[in-house]
Amino acid sequence: MWDGEPRANRAAPDDPMRAPRARNGRAPDVFRLGAWTPMREYPESEPVDFAIVGTGAGGGTLACRLAEAGFSVVAFDAGPYWRPLEDFASDEQEQTKLFWTDERIVDGENPLQLGANNSGKSVGGSTVHFAMVSLRFRPEWFKSRTLLGYGADWPLDWREMWDYYTEVEQALKIAGPVTYPWGPKRPRYPYREHELNAAAKVLARGAEALGISWAPTPLATVSAPRGASPPCVYRGFCTLGCSTNAKQSVLVTWLPRALRAGAEVRDLAMVGRIETDAAGLASGVHYHREGQWRFQKARNVVVAGYAIETPRLLLMSANERYPGGLANSSGLVGRYLTVQGNQACWGVMDEEIRSYKGPPSLAITEHWNYEDRGKDFFGGYSYMSQGPLPVLWAGVQAGARGLWGEALMDEMQRYNHSVGLKVVSEYMPQERNRVTLADEKDALGLPIARVTYSWCDNDKRVNRHALGFMRKALEAAGAREIWDQEDDTCHLNGTARMGDDPRTSVVNGDCRSWDIPNLWICDGSVFPTVGGANPSLTIQAIACRTADRIRALARRGDL
Amino acid sequence: MSRELMTSGRQVGWGQIGLGLGAAGLGVAAAALLARTTTSSGPPRAPGEPPTVRAGRRLNRAAGVLAAAVLADSAMEHDRGDFKNPAMFAPLAVSALTLVVSAHGLGDPHRGRHRVRHATYVVAAATGGVGTGFHLYNVLKRTGGLDWQNLFYGAPLGAPTAIALSGLLGAAAERVRGTPPGRTPTVLGRPAARLLAALAAVGLVGTTGEAGLLHFRGAFHNPFMLLPVSLPPVAAALTARAAFSPSRSRSRLARLWLRLTALMGFVGPAFHAYGVHRNMGGWSNWRQNLLNGPPLPAPPSFTGLALAGLAALDLLKDHPDA
Repeated sequence: MWDGEPRANRAAPDDPMRAPRARNGRAPDVFRLGAWTPMREYPESEPVDFAIVGTGAGGGTLACRLAEAGFSVVAFDAGPYWRPLEDFASDEQEQTKLFWTDERIVDGENPLQLGANNSGKSVGGSTVHFAMVSLRFRPEWFKSRTLLGYGADWPLDWREMWDYYTEVEQALKIAGPVTYPWGPKRPRYPYREHELNAAAKVLARGAEALGISWAPTPLATVSAPRGASPPCVYRGFCTLGCSTNAKQSVLVTWLPRALRAGAEVRDLAMVGRIETDAAGLASGVHYHREGQWRFQKARNVVVAGYAIETPRLLLMSANERYPGGLANSSGLVGRYLTVQGNQACWGVMDEEIRSYKGPPSLAITEHWNYEDRGKDFFGGYSYMSQGPLPVLWAGVQAGARGLWGEALMDEMQRYNHSVGLKVVSEYMPQERNRVTLADEKDALGLPIARVTYSWCDNDKRVNRHALGFMRKALEAAGAREIWDQEDDTCHLNGTARMGDDPRTSVVNGDCRSWDIPNLWICDGSVFPTVGGANPSLTIQAIACRTADRIRALARRGDL
Repeated sequence: MSRELMTSGRQVGWGQIGLGLGAAGLGVAAAALLARTTTSSGPPRAPGEPPTVRAGRRLNRAAGVLAAAVLADSAMEHDRGDFKNPAMFAPLAVSALTLVVSAHGLGDPHRGRHRVRHATYVVAAATGGVGTGFHLYNVLKRTGGLDWQNLFYGAPLGAPTAIALSGLLGAAAERVRGTPPGRTPTVLGRPAARLLAALAAVGLVGTTGEAGLLHFRGAFHNPFMLLPVSLPPVAAALTARAAFSPSRSRSRLARLWLRLTALMGFVGPAFHAYGVHRNMGGWSNWRQNLLNGPPLPAPPSFTGLALAGLAALDLLKDHPDA
């Protein structure tokens, strides 16, 4: 089956970026070169039970679980349907094709960098290029207003979430440490931790020198064979698409299950508008595919486009009955956009590090997520070892550090000795940070998103604390010439927050919109707070819970 | 172009599972056939061959099987480690020598201890001891010290024990051979059969630990990975029981289980070959995956130890006071 050479390097027989692959009763078999697998198709004129917009961590997971529960499901994605074995090249530039790089306007005091680090345009969503870090939230974060004094409470119970985390960890065969040093007891990770690379060992040495715990990072890439996924070969291109399928993305886990359970996936299908009927209920979605606008009828619509495209679609769907956009009686659609800090400390070691080997974040410390003493800020953070690839690294040196010419060349010579720690820190939800519609239109004539972001004082304090601590850790591990990368952020959450009160939230704990009972939102947008942990596992856990809730509601006739 | 290639979408189809089970069944059947001529009857008994010589030859064989496994395994693993420390050549040289003298011993019908063979075995035992020290040092010096990460990915702590066991079994073989006619074979002043049975049992338990650790690292992703952590400890317990409170039925059960264990070690490489196939690129990428995947030469260590256990129980039958 394996011929070593990604087909992207040869003349492609079909270009998944130009023509949809999932049609004519078949979808790509993501595990085999050129192969297909049967896919059920639904007519547009008959309403399906669920039209799901987006196939990432939220939508893809939900599509699978709903289809397995017996619902008819059509899942739309604006991105292509890849076969990683043949479509992914070992080329940083080529692989930018995985990112959502449609035009957007960013502003505010601290404009976000959008694209590579925070959004994807693929069937499978950004899990196709995520760093696979699969963390549970600290239980207190689900009640951070009540227990920790900041942010907002979630309408979810952490013990229930603990069970859904377990389900997702099993579904993705997360490879994690035998014992996890932080938080309440959790079941053993289904697969064992990966071997640490030198960059991870630098984190470990720093943590041990400073007397805090560290752990091999729980990762969604297998450390032993799993079905048609071979164990990880430590190629290091994880954040540009895994070409071996060791990575347990939504594309290779939930979606094949969804297809087998009778779901339909429509790739290269950009949903531009949700239709509502005379009763004010969602009745289907308008989507653009193969050069024309089409309409799919649906009894329920789920929006799962991540925290920029989700509010954009809700706002774009404004009509006479809902002039402020769908599900927006609270006025909060698009508000409380909350990212996470992603600052880094970099240094140089005498010995070779070659941090590009293996998954980029093989070691982690969640110390400051679970330790509240000694903080001058609300919230928490984790930090992880890093493995930037050369083009990205040159970009960081030129952009964040301002090196150019001879200085940049000299710095790149030390690439193999460079090492760094990067934070995922909790920023505060602020109403002023938001997604709105700009006047400018995109290629399909849809208004583009304007993304406004400013740090609050607490965000700046967490940045300072994290950078200071990581610097100490790097020094303790023996790095020199340490410098701070201060500008980066990651992950997008919070633009359709969940809550207990229709006046202060967009959806309830079941991800069901308060205003339109057959309109659901299921992705990172529903997070009221973000914690100091990567969100993908939590998004998938919420999707699993939502599926169970939908099934329960349907059983008692409340759908 | 493979446009028409339609699949079920399942990662592992029923056909593949059937093929795997069929191949495993065939492997077991083939091993069973082979075992009829090797493990159960042992080397052909020369007419009038004294039981001590026969036991000695069988122990030479057990030591040789272990040495062969060590030779292949350490060659592959230390090559993977780039022979960074010259001492990493030692187990190759010693196990090769041990293999040669074991073959010599197996074919040698003479009574009496062979000085070169005995010396080689003693060196092998010492090498295993020193090797364990090296491996322990390697694990402890790694960041994190004695933690799961380093037990999984550092030098395998249990591996050098295999060459030590080979040496000990071989040295015992030579001493058993050297037993004057009419005397009870002893090793270090103890009854030889019981001591050897105990050694085989301890070795089986230790090797189970090694397999258990590495199969745990592999998350027991294939149910067959449970076999080497379930069969050998039972064999070890039955062997010890049969040796220390012998009865005919106990001995028979122990023998049966030891043969099963020997078979398992014999068939193991086929399973590991399948494991190699499941790595990226499979066998077409053998240069990487032989090193990356499950070690092909590891399972026969169980065979070597099980053969030693059988030899010990046979010796006990011939010399009930040994």
